[in-house]
Amino acid sequence: MRRLAWIGLAVVVVGALVVAAWPRANHETVPAHVHRLATELRCVDCIGISVADSGTAAARGQRRDIAERVQRGESDETIRNWYVQTYGENILLKPAGRGVGLIVWGLPIGAVFLAAVGLALALRKWRRQPRLTPTAEDAAFVAEHRGDR
Amino acid sequence: MKHPFRWVAIGAGVVIAVFAAILAANVSTDPQSELNTSPLLGKAAPNFALTNFDGTKLRLSDVAGKTVIVNFWNSWCEPCRAELPTLQRWYADHKTDPTVVMVGIPRDDSSGAIRTAAREDGMGWAVANDRGAEDANLAYGTRGQPESFVISPSGQIVGSIIGPLTTGDLDKMLRVGQGI
Repeated sequence: MRRLAWIGLAVVVVGALVVAAWPRANHETVPAHVHRLATELRCVDCIGISVADSGTAAARGQRRDIAERVQRGESDETIRNWYVQTYGENILLKPAGRGVGLIVWGLPIGAVFLAAVGLALALRKWRRQPRLTPTAEDAAFVAEHRGDR
Repeated sequence: MKHPFRWVAIGAGVVIAVFAAILAANVSTDPQSELNTSPLLGKAAPNFALTNFDGTKLRLSDVAGKTVIVNFWNSWCEPCRAELPTLQRWYADHKTDPTVVMVGIPRDDSSGAIRTAAREDGMGWAVANDRGAEDANLAYGTRGQPESFVISPSGQIVGSIIGPLTTGDLDKMLRVGQGI
Protein backbone atom coordinates (compact mmCIF):
# COMPACT_ATOMS: atom_id res chain seq x y z
CA MET A 1 0.00 0.00 0.00
CA ARG A 2 2.78 2.38 0.99
CA ARG A 3 4.72 1.53 -2.15
CA LEU A 4 1.61 2.16 -4.24
CA ALA A 5 1.29 5.63 -2.69
CA TRP A 6 4.89 6.46 -3.60
CA ILE A 7 4.38 5.18 -7.15
CA GLY A 8 1.18 7.26 -7.41
CA LEU A 9 3.04 10.36 -6.19
CA ALA A 10 5.86 9.77 -8.69
CA VAL A 11 3.33 9.41 -11.54
CA VAL A 12 1.64 12.70 -10.54
CA VAL A 13 4.99 14.57 -10.35
CA VAL A 14 6.26 13.21 -13.68
CA GLY A 15 2.87 13.90 -15.31
CA ALA A 16 2.88 17.50 -14.06
CA LEU A 17 6.44 18.05 -15.36
CA VAL A 18 5.56 16.59 -18.78
CA VAL A 19 2.43 18.77 -19.07
CA ALA A 20 4.41 21.86 -18.01
CA ALA A 21 7.26 21.20 -20.45
CA TRP A 22 5.16 20.04 -23.44
CA PRO A 23 5.36 22.55 -26.32
CA ARG A 24 2.03 24.26 -26.90
CA ALA A 25 0.55 25.36 -30.18
CA ASN A 26 1.78 28.89 -30.99
CA HIS A 27 -1.13 31.33 -30.82
CA GLU A 28 1.10 34.32 -30.04
CA THR A 29 0.27 37.57 -31.84
CA VAL A 30 3.08 39.51 -33.57
CA PRO A 31 3.08 42.33 -30.94
CA ALA A 32 3.18 39.73 -28.12
CA HIS A 33 5.97 37.90 -29.93
CA VAL A 34 7.98 41.12 -30.37
CA HIS A 35 7.39 42.07 -26.73
CA ARG A 36 8.54 38.64 -25.51
CA LEU A 37 11.79 38.86 -27.51
CA ALA A 38 12.30 42.48 -26.42
CA THR A 39 12.05 41.42 -22.76
CA GLU A 40 14.99 39.05 -23.34
CA LEU A 41 17.31 41.81 -24.58
CA ARG A 42 19.14 44.32 -22.42
CA CYS A 43 18.68 48.04 -23.10
CA VAL A 44 22.22 49.17 -23.99
CA ASP A 45 21.70 52.69 -22.61
CA CYS A 46 20.13 51.61 -19.31
CA ILE A 47 20.98 49.60 -16.21
CA GLY A 48 19.04 46.39 -15.74
CA ILE A 49 16.17 47.34 -18.05
CA SER A 50 15.02 45.35 -21.05
CA VAL A 51 14.48 46.71 -24.55
CA ALA A 52 10.74 46.18 -23.95
CA ASP A 53 10.73 48.53 -20.95
CA SER A 54 13.02 51.26 -22.25
CA GLY A 55 12.07 54.46 -24.03
CA THR A 56 15.50 55.27 -25.48
CA ALA A 57 16.01 55.73 -29.22
CA ALA A 58 18.19 52.62 -29.34
CA ALA A 59 15.48 50.51 -27.68
CA ARG A 60 12.80 51.92 -29.98
CA GLY A 61 14.97 51.07 -32.98
CA GLN A 62 15.56 47.58 -31.63
CA ARG A 63 11.82 46.97 -31.08
CA ARG A 64 11.14 48.11 -34.65
CA ASP A 65 13.93 45.86 -35.91
CA ILE A 66 12.61 42.84 -33.96
CA ALA A 67 9.11 43.46 -35.36
CA GLU A 68 10.47 43.57 -38.92
CA ARG A 69 12.45 40.38 -38.37
CA VAL A 70 9.43 38.58 -36.86
CA GLN A 71 7.28 39.66 -39.80
CA ARG A 72 9.94 38.38 -42.19
CA GLY A 73 9.58 35.00 -40.51
CA GLU A 74 12.98 34.86 -38.80
CA SER A 75 13.11 32.37 -35.94
CA ASP A 76 13.65 33.49 -32.34
CA GLU A 77 17.05 31.81 -32.38
CA THR A 78 18.11 33.69 -35.54
CA ILE A 79 17.02 37.02 -34.04
CA ARG A 80 18.81 36.36 -30.74
CA ASN A 81 21.95 35.28 -32.62
CA TRP A 82 22.00 38.48 -34.67
CA TYR A 83 21.84 40.58 -31.50
CA VAL A 84 24.57 38.53 -29.82
CA GLN A 85 26.81 38.82 -32.89
CA THR A 86 26.24 42.59 -33.09
CA TYR A 87 26.22 43.60 -29.41
CA GLY A 88 27.92 40.65 -27.70
CA GLU A 89 26.68 38.02 -25.25
CA ASN A 90 25.95 40.76 -22.72
CA ILE A 91 22.88 41.85 -24.69
CA LEU A 92 21.00 38.79 -23.38
CA LEU A 93 19.22 39.37 -20.06
CA LYS A 94 18.81 35.61 -19.71
CA PRO A 95 22.33 34.16 -19.81
CA ALA A 96 23.13 31.51 -22.41
CA GLY A 97 23.79 27.97 -21.24
CA ARG A 98 27.50 28.14 -22.00
CA GLY A 99 30.61 29.88 -20.67
CA VAL A 100 29.93 31.97 -17.57
CA GLY A 101 26.19 31.59 -18.20
CA LEU A 102 26.62 27.91 -17.43
CA ILE A 103 27.30 28.83 -13.80
CA VAL A 104 23.96 30.60 -13.48
CA TRP A 105 22.08 27.59 -14.81
CA GLY A 106 24.33 24.83 -13.50
CA LEU A 107 25.01 25.94 -9.94
CA PRO A 108 21.40 25.66 -8.64
CA ILE A 109 20.97 22.30 -10.38
CA GLY A 110 24.24 21.04 -8.90
CA ALA A 111 23.25 22.32 -5.45
CA VAL A 112 19.82 20.66 -5.60
CA PHE A 113 21.37 17.39 -6.81
CA LEU A 114 23.96 17.37 -4.02
CA ALA A 115 21.34 18.28 -1.43
CA ALA A 116 19.11 15.41 -2.62
CA VAL A 117 22.02 12.94 -2.46
CA GLY A 118 22.98 14.21 1.02
CA LEU A 119 19.39 13.96 2.24
CA ALA A 120 19.00 10.43 0.87
CA LEU A 121 22.21 9.33 2.58
CA ALA A 122 21.19 10.98 5.85
CA LEU A 123 17.74 9.34 5.80
CA ARG A 124 19.34 5.96 5.10
CA LYS A 125 21.76 6.39 7.96
CA TRP A 126 19.06 7.52 10.41
CA ARG A 127 16.86 4.59 9.46
CA ARG A 128 19.69 2.13 10.13
CA GLN A 129 20.87 3.79 13.33
CA PRO A 130 17.91 5.33 15.18
CA ARG A 131 19.13 8.27 17.24
CA LEU A 132 16.82 7.36 20.14
CA THR A 133 16.96 3.80 21.47
CA PRO A 134 14.91 2.81 24.57
CA THR A 135 16.91 2.16 27.70
CA ALA A 136 16.08 -0.67 30.13
CA GLU A 137 14.31 1.93 32.28
CA ASP A 138 12.17 3.05 29.32
CA ALA A 139 11.20 -0.55 28.55
CA ALA A 140 10.29 -1.18 32.17
CA PHE A 141 8.21 2.02 32.27
CA VAL A 142 6.32 1.02 29.12
CA ALA A 143 5.74 -2.53 30.44
CA GLU A 144 4.48 -1.15 33.74
CA HIS A 145 2.01 1.28 32.16
CA ARG A 146 0.89 -0.85 29.22
CA GLY A 147 -2.10 -2.04 31.17
CA ASP A 148 -3.24 1.57 31.92
CA ARG A 149 -4.79 2.13 28.47
CA MET B 1 30.38 3.24 1.46
CA LYS B 2 31.98 3.85 4.83
CA HIS B 3 31.80 7.67 4.94
CA PRO B 4 28.95 8.70 2.63
CA PHE B 5 29.00 12.37 3.72
CA ARG B 6 32.66 12.60 2.85
CA TRP B 7 31.77 11.64 -0.75
CA VAL B 8 29.04 14.29 -0.84
CA ALA B 9 31.55 16.89 0.39
CA ILE B 10 34.06 15.77 -2.25
CA GLY B 11 31.33 15.98 -4.92
CA ALA B 12 30.41 19.50 -3.77
CA GLY B 13 34.08 20.48 -3.88
CA VAL B 14 34.48 19.14 -7.42
CA VAL B 15 31.35 21.01 -8.63
CA ILE B 16 32.57 24.28 -7.05
CA ALA B 17 36.05 23.80 -8.54
CA VAL B 18 34.61 23.22 -12.03
CA PHE B 19 32.47 26.37 -11.85
CA ALA B 20 35.37 28.38 -10.45
CA ALA B 21 37.50 27.24 -13.41
CA ILE B 22 34.77 28.28 -15.89
CA LEU B 23 34.45 31.66 -14.13
CA ALA B 24 38.21 32.24 -14.14
CA ALA B 25 38.46 31.35 -17.82
CA ASN B 26 35.69 33.72 -18.87
CA VAL B 27 35.99 36.78 -16.68
CA SER B 28 38.37 39.47 -17.79
CA THR B 29 40.37 41.42 -15.24
CA ASP B 30 40.00 44.61 -17.27
CA PRO B 31 36.52 46.10 -16.80
CA GLN B 32 37.02 48.33 -19.86
CA SER B 33 38.04 45.53 -22.20
CA GLU B 34 34.48 44.64 -23.20
CA LEU B 35 33.64 48.26 -23.88
CA ASN B 36 36.60 48.71 -26.17
CA THR B 37 36.07 45.60 -28.24
CA SER B 38 33.03 45.53 -30.49
CA PRO B 39 31.86 42.06 -31.55
CA LEU B 40 31.92 43.50 -35.08
CA LEU B 41 35.71 43.90 -35.11
CA GLY B 42 37.16 42.07 -38.09
CA LYS B 43 33.77 41.77 -39.79
CA ALA B 44 32.50 43.52 -42.89
CA ALA B 45 31.20 46.98 -41.98
CA PRO B 46 27.41 47.19 -42.33
CA ASN B 47 26.41 49.54 -45.12
CA PHE B 48 24.61 52.73 -44.12
CA ALA B 49 22.62 55.25 -46.11
CA LEU B 50 22.37 58.73 -44.61
CA THR B 51 21.01 62.08 -45.72
CA ASN B 52 23.02 65.07 -44.55
CA PHE B 53 21.46 68.38 -43.57
CA ASP B 54 22.58 69.86 -46.87
CA GLY B 55 20.55 67.17 -48.64
CA THR B 56 23.52 65.15 -49.89
CA LYS B 57 23.28 61.39 -49.59
CA LEU B 58 26.06 59.36 -48.09
CA ARG B 59 26.32 55.61 -48.35
CA LEU B 60 29.25 53.61 -47.03
CA SER B 61 29.43 51.84 -50.37
CA ASP B 62 30.02 55.26 -52.02
CA VAL B 63 33.28 55.70 -50.11
CA ALA B 64 34.64 52.19 -50.61
CA GLY B 65 38.40 52.22 -50.90
CA LYS B 66 38.77 54.97 -48.29
CA THR B 67 39.40 54.81 -44.56
CA VAL B 68 36.19 55.84 -42.83
CA ILE B 69 35.99 57.12 -39.26
CA VAL B 70 32.41 56.84 -37.98
CA ASN B 71 31.65 58.82 -34.83
CA PHE B 72 28.33 58.19 -33.04
CA TRP B 73 27.45 61.18 -30.86
CA ASN B 74 24.70 63.39 -29.37
CA SER B 75 24.56 67.15 -28.98
CA TRP B 76 23.53 66.81 -25.30
CA CYS B 77 26.31 64.38 -24.40
CA GLU B 78 29.10 65.99 -22.35
CA PRO B 79 31.85 63.51 -23.35
CA CYS B 80 30.84 64.11 -27.01
CA ARG B 81 31.20 67.85 -26.50
CA ALA B 82 34.54 67.22 -24.78
CA GLU B 83 35.96 65.37 -27.78
CA LEU B 84 34.64 67.91 -30.30
CA PRO B 85 37.73 70.19 -30.32
CA THR B 86 39.91 67.14 -30.98
CA LEU B 87 37.66 66.04 -33.85
CA GLN B 88 37.70 69.57 -35.28
CA ARG B 89 41.49 69.81 -35.17
CA TRP B 90 42.00 66.34 -36.60
CA TYR B 91 39.44 66.92 -39.34
CA ALA B 92 41.09 70.23 -40.28
CA ASP B 93 44.38 68.38 -40.73
CA HIS B 94 42.86 65.61 -42.85
CA LYS B 95 39.97 67.12 -44.77
CA THR B 96 42.05 67.45 -47.92
CA ASP B 97 43.19 63.83 -47.70
CA PRO B 98 41.22 62.03 -50.43
CA THR B 99 41.70 58.67 -48.71
CA VAL B 100 39.94 59.62 -45.45
CA VAL B 101 36.27 60.24 -44.70
CA MET B 102 34.77 61.22 -41.35
CA VAL B 103 31.08 60.75 -40.59
CA GLY B 104 29.09 61.87 -37.54
CA ILE B 105 25.92 59.91 -36.75
CA PRO B 106 23.60 60.89 -33.86
CA ARG B 107 22.46 58.20 -31.45
CA ASP B 108 19.46 59.71 -29.69
CA ASP B 109 18.87 63.34 -30.51
CA SER B 110 16.49 65.70 -32.26
CA SER B 111 17.19 66.94 -35.77
CA GLY B 112 16.99 70.54 -34.57
CA ALA B 113 19.59 70.08 -31.84
CA ILE B 114 21.92 68.21 -34.19
CA ARG B 115 21.55 70.81 -36.91
CA THR B 116 22.25 73.65 -34.45
CA ALA B 117 25.26 71.90 -32.92
CA ALA B 118 26.71 71.03 -36.34
CA ARG B 119 26.35 74.64 -37.53
CA GLU B 120 27.47 76.42 -34.35
CA ASP B 121 30.40 74.10 -33.73
CA GLY B 122 31.52 74.15 -37.34
CA MET B 123 31.43 70.41 -37.85
CA GLY B 124 32.74 70.23 -41.38
CA TRP B 125 32.41 66.49 -41.72
CA ALA B 126 29.29 64.67 -42.88
CA VAL B 127 26.61 64.77 -40.19
CA ALA B 128 23.22 63.18 -40.65
CA ASN B 129 20.07 62.65 -38.63
CA ASP B 130 17.39 60.59 -40.29
CA ARG B 131 16.01 57.09 -40.27
CA GLY B 132 19.35 55.99 -41.72
CA ALA B 133 21.06 57.11 -38.49
CA GLU B 134 18.77 54.87 -36.43
CA ASP B 135 19.50 51.96 -38.77
CA ALA B 136 23.25 52.64 -38.57
CA ASN B 137 23.15 52.66 -34.76
CA LEU B 138 21.44 49.29 -34.80
CA ALA B 139 23.69 47.78 -37.46
CA TYR B 140 26.86 48.89 -35.63
CA GLY B 141 25.54 47.74 -32.25
CA THR B 142 26.39 51.05 -30.59
CA ARG B 143 26.41 50.85 -26.80
CA GLY B 144 26.91 54.45 -25.81
CA GLN B 145 28.12 57.83 -26.95
CA PRO B 146 30.56 58.83 -28.13
CA GLU B 147 31.48 55.58 -29.82
CA SER B 148 33.73 55.50 -32.86
CA PHE B 149 34.57 52.91 -35.47
CA VAL B 150 37.25 52.81 -38.11
CA ILE B 151 36.54 51.06 -41.39
CA SER B 152 39.40 49.97 -43.62
CA PRO B 153 39.47 50.70 -47.37
CA SER B 154 38.46 47.06 -47.91
CA GLY B 155 35.28 47.67 -45.89
CA GLN B 156 36.25 45.86 -42.69
CA ILE B 157 35.72 47.20 -39.16
CA VAL B 158 39.25 47.32 -37.78
CA GLY B 159 38.82 49.40 -34.62
CA SER B 160 36.26 50.69 -32.16
CA ILE B 161 36.46 52.95 -29.13
CA ILE B 162 33.82 53.98 -26.60
CA GLY B 163 34.49 57.35 -25.01
CA PRO B 164 36.03 60.66 -26.06
CA LEU B 165 38.72 60.31 -28.72
CA THR B 166 42.16 61.85 -28.44
CA THR B 167 44.29 62.93 -31.38
CA GLY B 168 46.44 59.88 -30.64
CA ASP B 169 43.37 57.62 -30.90
CA LEU B 170 42.42 59.16 -34.24
CA ASP B 171 45.96 58.87 -35.62
CA LYS B 172 46.08 55.27 -34.46
CA MET B 173 42.66 54.53 -35.98
CA LEU B 174 43.86 55.99 -39.27
CA ARG B 175 47.04 53.88 -39.19
CA VAL B 176 45.07 50.74 -38.36
CA GLY B 177 42.54 51.56 -41.07
CA GLN B 178 45.28 52.02 -43.65
CA GLY B 179 47.02 48.88 -42.46
CA ILE B 180 50.20 50.76 -41.55
